[in-house]
Amino acid sequence: MHNHHTDWHIWSGCAILTLLIFRLLWGVVGSSTARFTNFVRGPRAIGDYLRGRWTGIGHNPLGALSVIALFLALSVQVGLGLVAEDEDGLYTGPLYRLVSIDTSDKARDLHEFWFNVILGLVALHVVAIVFYRLRGKHLTKPMITGRAHLEPGMEPMRVGKWWIALICLATGIGITRWIIAGAPPFSS
Amino acid sequence: MRNVPIVIASVVALTAITTAATAKVSGPQAAQVMHQRHEGMESIGKAFKALRREFDSSSPFDPTVRSSAAQIAGLARKSSGWFPAGTGPEAGKTGAKPEIWKTPQDFAAKLSAFQKASLVFNAAAASGDINAAKARYADLGGTCKACHDKYRAEMHH
Repeated sequence: MHNHHTDWHIWSGCAILTLLIFRLLWGVVGSSTARFTNFVRGPRAIGDYLRGRWTGIGHNPLGALSVIALFLALSVQVGLGLVAEDEDGLYTGPLYRLVSIDTSDKARDLHEFWFNVILGLVALHVVAIVFYRLRGKHLTKPMITGRAHLEPGMEPMRVGKWWIALICLATGIGITRWIIAGAPPFSS
Repeated sequence: MRNVPIVIASVVALTAITTAATAKVSGPQAAQVMHQRHEGMESIGKAFKALRREFDSSSPFDPTVRSSAAQIAGLARKSSGWFPAGTGPEAGKTGAKPEIWKTPQDFAAKLSAFQKASLVFNAAAASGDINAAKARYADLGGTCKACHDKYRAEMHH
């Protein structure tokens, strides 16, 4: 990795780690549409959705797969980065000492390869948004504003508490800082 | 530090080696140099990584630190012969950028800085003063980076 911005690379990875922890917690105690139990469904729900028999707000049963795929792909990428080191041994992920030199080197190669998987998912995601938009459905606007058009009989979103969001974020930052410090006492 | 005279003598000798002009090579000779360079750089990298793990552990193991430091210093000395003209990307797969031979004086200065730092680090490691060794290790890494930022390309192998 000779792009001369390795510091930025590592810091953005730590930022993504914080966001992942936040999203994981928010998916348990956050707004109703963010909770995994509310939007992650089985194949039958996906089939119903594809046949136009799904009504609801938030991620639809098919989109849920995309959320899970992105979440897992980013988690794998961050996990690899945490134990990786660059080819020259000048930069290391904060948890590199938990594994051997060989494993760190392999993690780096896989980290490099895995970025293509993420690019693929990003492309799929953007294509899906454009596809829905062409069919007259805004996916991003309700996501940002929290407001969506409700058909009669549809249950509105139960908005999560702001202070719970704050606790989730603080927890994410705290865990990330602990990992940056080498996750004591495990790697010291 | 009892090693100071040795370091100074070595640095003087090295400067003479580094600034000596290196003749252009080609064919199998170029391939051989490139192979040596690759293996040498890889060994330096491995020793450097092992040292980081030692220094970051709660009790760095003295013999490992000493032997790795000596290995790097030995390879650094050899590195003077690793960059003759004719061993750039035109001669085959390599991480060496053509800029090495476009700005030879700057490259020689950076290579020399690396060699000096490797000797200073080796002396610190030999002295058994872990804190001094750590500081000189960081200096050494700085000289690796200074050169690699400018003259090393990514190489997939």
